[in-house]
Amino acid sequence: MLSNPLALIAEITHRCPLHCVYCSNPLQMAGVQSELATDTWLRVWREAAKLGVLHLHLTGGEPLARPDLTELIAGAHAAGLYTNLITSGVGLSEQRLASLVEAGLDHIQVSFQDSREVAANWIAGAKAHAHKIQLSRNIRKHKIAFTVNLVVHRQNLDHLEEMISFLEDLQPDRMEIAHAQYYGWALESRTSLIPTRDQLERAVKTVAEAEARLSGKIRIDSVVPDYYARYPKSCMGGWGRRLMLIEPAGKALPCHAAGVIPGLEFDNVSAHSLEWIWRESAAFRKFRGEEWMQEPCRSCDRRTEDFGGCRCQALMLTGDANATDPTCSLAPQHKLIEAVLLAANSGEQGTSRPITTGSLRQVQEQGLWMYRTNPE
Amino acid sequence: MAHPADTSQPRLAAGCRWGGSGEEGTILFPEGAIKVQGTGKKILEHCDGQNTFLQIVEELQKHYTASDPAHIKEDVAKFLEALHQKRIVDY
Repeated sequence: MLSNPLALIAEITHRCPLHCVYCSNPLQMAGVQSELATDTWLRVWREAAKLGVLHLHLTGGEPLARPDLTELIAGAHAAGLYTNLITSGVGLSEQRLASLVEAGLDHIQVSFQDSREVAANWIAGAKAHAHKIQLSRNIRKHKIAFTVNLVVHRQNLDHLEEMISFLEDLQPDRMEIAHAQYYGWALESRTSLIPTRDQLERAVKTVAEAEARLSGKIRIDSVVPDYYARYPKSCMGGWGRRLMLIEPAGKALPCHAAGVIPGLEFDNVSAHSLEWIWRESAAFRKFRGEEWMQEPCRSCDRRTEDFGGCRCQALMLTGDANATDPTCSLAPQHKLIEAVLLAANSGEQGTSRPITTGSLRQVQEQGLWMYRTNPE
Repeated sequence: MAHPADTSQPRLAAGCRWGGSGEEGTILFPEGAIKVQGTGKKILEHCDGQNTFLQIVEELQKHYTASDPAHIKEDVAKFLEALHQKRIVDY
């Protein structure tokens, strides 16, 4: 029996003042002109709550780029949704924050790129670090949940301890330490982002120590990189099983990256109800259940746990969206991952690059990675 | 992690609140939700930041007269401590 979605991820705009190299937005972004109107979003919130959704994650791009954000939060709150704002914090004045809280915001999640200002701004491609620190102080004046999110990778893992203690000083309730995942923009820069095995092992230990030390004070959630795991992640808790994502123009997707899979048609919330899309949309039905699975997934005991891993990753790396996620050690195409790891742990690439203080332009000229651009 | 003190005043942590409707109660918090019913629901309904831990325990003891009062106190403490660990309850 089909269960209802538990969370709705709303990318309310793709505009963003940051240009993070590992941005999870698609390479083809929705332009400003195509963004949904306020009333359409408000209808979507009501339909979501009726469908059984508990959590609404407002993200982007940068949600603050929408002048109607306060109204969107008030509407979500009135519909009974638990509302989380995922933000860079850039442009969030004390006054605007107060109005968002007043409107019923439950939780705010601020991303940090590093503990060191130069390095943080380098990853973000923008001078954002100092704003985020100021914002964190303002957030603690309000009674809402506060999460700090840190994306870790090859360039910053060597000072993970320092980054954790920096985040600790911001007094969050929760800390998310997530290894970069190689989709969209991050896949383009994978060579510069993928950690060495040694970095990863030290990071796991550092996070475990921090968890023990901060227990009862700050909850730590961490995401390990699937390239180094034995089995793939249960991506989105299974395709079309728990989550629904709506992009700025209203297209409903089963996950952030689903747009890369050729032949999928995404229905739009402007034309259909959320309930219809959840039940009937061809894109949501495509990888539900086990019909689509190939061997070894089809007969594997783990198929009800990880659902064969990530369909988008399977497509991006093997060219076949039905294939077993190649990060699985049982996957016929696991050698693709082994080759990436071998390169990451040997020769020149094997030496972790220290963060330099070079200008953004220099870094771009060196071709270390590609910055996220903005939609038209 | 310590048990709540007798005089502490347990409350839902910042950003944690009741949600949903019906017999079962749902506590919503960042990235998750728990369903509570029966005794758990009763305990959390008393966690308003006013009642002390001891008052909550006494309330429960009045309700469950057949159970050992010391046992009840221990169970309530463990329950709140587990939720404190998850950053759902503060005291």
